[in-house]
Amino acid sequence: MEKRPGKQLLELTVNDEFYELAVEPQETLLEVLRNHLGLTGTKEGCGTGECGTCTVLMEGEPILSCLTLAMDCRQKKIQTIEGLDRGEGLTVVQDAFLQQGAVQCGFCTPGMVLATTALLEENPHPSQEEIKKGLEGHLCRCTGYNKIFEAVEQAARGKSRDGDLGSV
Amino acid sequence: MDKLDYVGKRVLRKDGPDKVTGRAMYTVDMEFRGMLTGGILRSPHPHARILNIDTSRALKLPGVRAVITAQDTLGVKHGFVETPRYPPDQHPLATDKVRFVGEEVVAVAATDPYVVEEAMDLIDVDYEPLPAVFDAEEAMKPEAPEIHPTHPKVEGPFHNIGGKTASGWGDIEAGFANSDYVRQDRFESHLRTHGYLEPQATVASFEPDGKLNIWTSSQGPFIKRAKLARTLGLPFSTVRVQKAYVGGAFGGKIDLFSHEFCAALLSMKTGRPVKIIVSREEIFSAYRHGQPLIVEVKTGAKKDGTLLAQQFKIINNAGAYRGSGVVVIFLAWGFAMLPYRVANFEYEGYSVFTNNPIRTPQRGHGAPQLRFAVESQLDMIAEELGIDPIEIRMKNARRSGEQLPNGDNVHNCGLRDCIQLIDKHTSLREKYGQGRAAGSSDRMRRGIGIGVSSYFGGSLIYPNSSSVVVKMNDDGSVALLTGAMDIGQGAETILSQIVAEELKVPVDEIQVTAADTETTPVDIGSWISGNAYVSGNATRMAAGEVRKKLIDLASEALEANADDLILKDKRIYVAGSPNRGLTYQKLVSASIQERKGDPIIGEGHWRTMRDEPFHPSLASTKGRWSENYAFDAQTAEVEVDTETGEVRLLRAVTAHDCGFPINPLLVEGQIDGQVSMALGHAFLEEIMMEEGRTLNPNWLDYRMPTIHNMAPSEHIDVITEKYEVGQPYRTKEVGEGYVSAILGAIANAIYDAVGVRLFSTPFSAEKILRGLGKIK
Repeated sequence: MEKRPGKQLLELTVNDEFYELAVEPQETLLEVLRNHLGLTGTKEGCGTGECGTCTVLMEGEPILSCLTLAMDCRQKKIQTIEGLDRGEGLTVVQDAFLQQGAVQCGFCTPGMVLATTALLEENPHPSQEEIKKGLEGHLCRCTGYNKIFEAVEQAARGKSRDGDLGSV
Repeated sequence: MDKLDYVGKRVLRKDGPDKVTGRAMYTVDMEFRGMLTGGILRSPHPHARILNIDTSRALKLPGVRAVITAQDTLGVKHGFVETPRYPPDQHPLATDKVRFVGEEVVAVAATDPYVVEEAMDLIDVDYEPLPAVFDAEEAMKPEAPEIHPTHPKVEGPFHNIGGKTASGWGDIEAGFANSDYVRQDRFESHLRTHGYLEPQATVASFEPDGKLNIWTSSQGPFIKRAKLARTLGLPFSTVRVQKAYVGGAFGGKIDLFSHEFCAALLSMKTGRPVKIIVSREEIFSAYRHGQPLIVEVKTGAKKDGTLLAQQFKIINNAGAYRGSGVVVIFLAWGFAMLPYRVANFEYEGYSVFTNNPIRTPQRGHGAPQLRFAVESQLDMIAEELGIDPIEIRMKNARRSGEQLPNGDNVHNCGLRDCIQLIDKHTSLREKYGQGRAAGSSDRMRRGIGIGVSSYFGGSLIYPNSSSVVVKMNDDGSVALLTGAMDIGQGAETILSQIVAEELKVPVDEIQVTAADTETTPVDIGSWISGNAYVSGNATRMAAGEVRKKLIDLASEALEANADDLILKDKRIYVAGSPNRGLTYQKLVSASIQERKGDPIIGEGHWRTMRDEPFHPSLASTKGRWSENYAFDAQTAEVEVDTETGEVRLLRAVTAHDCGFPINPLLVEGQIDGQVSMALGHAFLEEIMMEEGRTLNPNWLDYRMPTIHNMAPSEHIDVITEKYEVGQPYRTKEVGEGYVSAILGAIANAIYDAVGVRLFSTPFSAEKILRGLGKIK
């Protein structure tokens, strides 16, 4: 048996909480989130960066956590689907996905919701082409995308209690 | 008639909040203390004899807790079909031979995935490769290598026949003789896969008391329990299959898979929980895909378009074991019989073993392939006869109340309305022919086409029926216990709507316990398009019994006639006197006090075709098939680039008779999803194989539709049935029929645009350019 390289110390912030973790150098961010932190809302559909289900936000930008080495996230701020929960109910984007019927099996949903949140933070009134561009890396097999598209449009029209993308 | 408050409404999914917040737990998310990781070593050969398996080096690797081969099993076989004619033919782990690349040979449980991988490298399997065959027609030839002996009841010189379906009625020769026009065509379809986003996965936990707990990504727990118990030699009472959320299935997660058996046996061997997650590459290259069919169809028609005779020969490439191959050749017969009346009909279908991975149902289970052939040929016949695509379909479409040749009845059939309404909605007849008439100088050409389909809603395969329990809680809220598995279609939501309607309790006050073989009653399963009808009626009956008990109590307490009582807001009052009433909470406590402790529980059971003992014969089609048929017509409008051969689907319309939609929002989701899947079938998706090996086992090379391929999808509801509180209802399926007609519609639209007739899927740019004479 080959001896594995030793664990290394990783410091990062996930959903506003600071963590110090001992991780193996080959571990991905996805593995750390799911296996070390129990944040199973982030899903693995393929493990090779093709489906978008493992999307999380790093410094507000969507990334594929299955292709990101955990050690490359040192001192970074990560947000997962669980991080949208401020104890105040569904966010504008989550509510729009629910209202429009954009959720079926739900496996792609966390990645879709985070990608939509990032898109609308960056560009509150995206054009149809910009919506497609924003979600092009995300596969959904159930909906045919029509209702997801409508959900993004609803979320772009909607505003939270505080006028942002927070809880409705 | 009562006004409906919940059924027929756009009620939001009950599981929606869990899914948008990431709280929904799928099988892959299950974690237990001390859990081991399992993995499976697969055959690298398409056909080989196993000479020796040496696991000794792997067993010595630190961290490895168990290694199992066929020798550790009871040797009990299983199969998608398990009947006297078609007995089970798959071993959970290969014994003496492997018959496809990826067949399961050895399974390992270890402390982490890295150790599992290292252990696999230390297992030595000696194989003696055997000649292999991959093409169904090649495999039928007498000189082909034998994968399994031809079924003893199939006559003829063919090799490797796993099963045959033969059926017919009328006088086929006379039918052709009396026809004014006869043509024969051959259509072929290609290999595709389900593309569920959640990988197959199983967690097994064998408890010290002998209980085997299973969580597995599936389409219903009861068939999994039956097959696990039988192959492991355990009584049903010790195997508990429980719900986890399911991330899509589309037919691909129905019967027993090796990883489920292996996770269970590894947990039994080690006494530790074992999780196996199947990698995406394994799913693409070794798991069960859909079924490519060869459809030869000869049709005779009168000058006015009346179909007089139709003769089919179907060949299915079933892969290395029987799988659902002998079902798809039965179903293709049914999908040929359903929408149009044909007086003289002859059908034969062959399921052929090849050294490819096993096949399983894939949404539509043969209907898209079959309807593509029939609907394409129908347009060719119409053109020859000088009649339009609507007229020829109206001439032959079935009418309400019509008896089918197999003895079933179509009951209220909205097919003719679907065809007429879709023509009006799309102006098909006005547009049809304009693309081709536009002149060959236009680079971009548009066309429109139509297809028709029909699909059954529930039939008699294990577990045949659904039962449901509805219980009142002390506070007047309600609990629903159902064995139904919500695979994303919304089963739990629509069943809750039915309870809500019968009892006038808000949907969000209904707690659902679902899909647990130990605590919920049996359910027909989410793979035979019977959920809305079979499980739905069982739910209606269970809630109806609760309703009756509540009304009886209220009638007595309020000294009022039961007919004069109104249910509203968890309360029963006397019509005209809203103050003379009792809350459900009061009625429940009254029941407990006065009715021997009865807390008010209702049960309901529903079995389709209750007087039929069995499913119809897969071999002869004799026997009743279903009592519930949905119908649809679909149109496609396309734009073809005559320079590149690329086709864009501009608009898809689905006119459908689903009885009535229990939840229009969910029905729309089913329609959109099926149109998208058909678009993938038509243009994008293909599993490429060479010598039994998959060349594109990933989503970069197996191209599923992305948001850039989103098809504008419209729908027209043709309502033929209704829901009334307290009455049985006959709504129809919406999950499989609408992936079926659209494929033929797209082929017909391409022809309408550029005059190129396609006889095989996918509708690639290359085939279109060849048809246009632009390439050789």
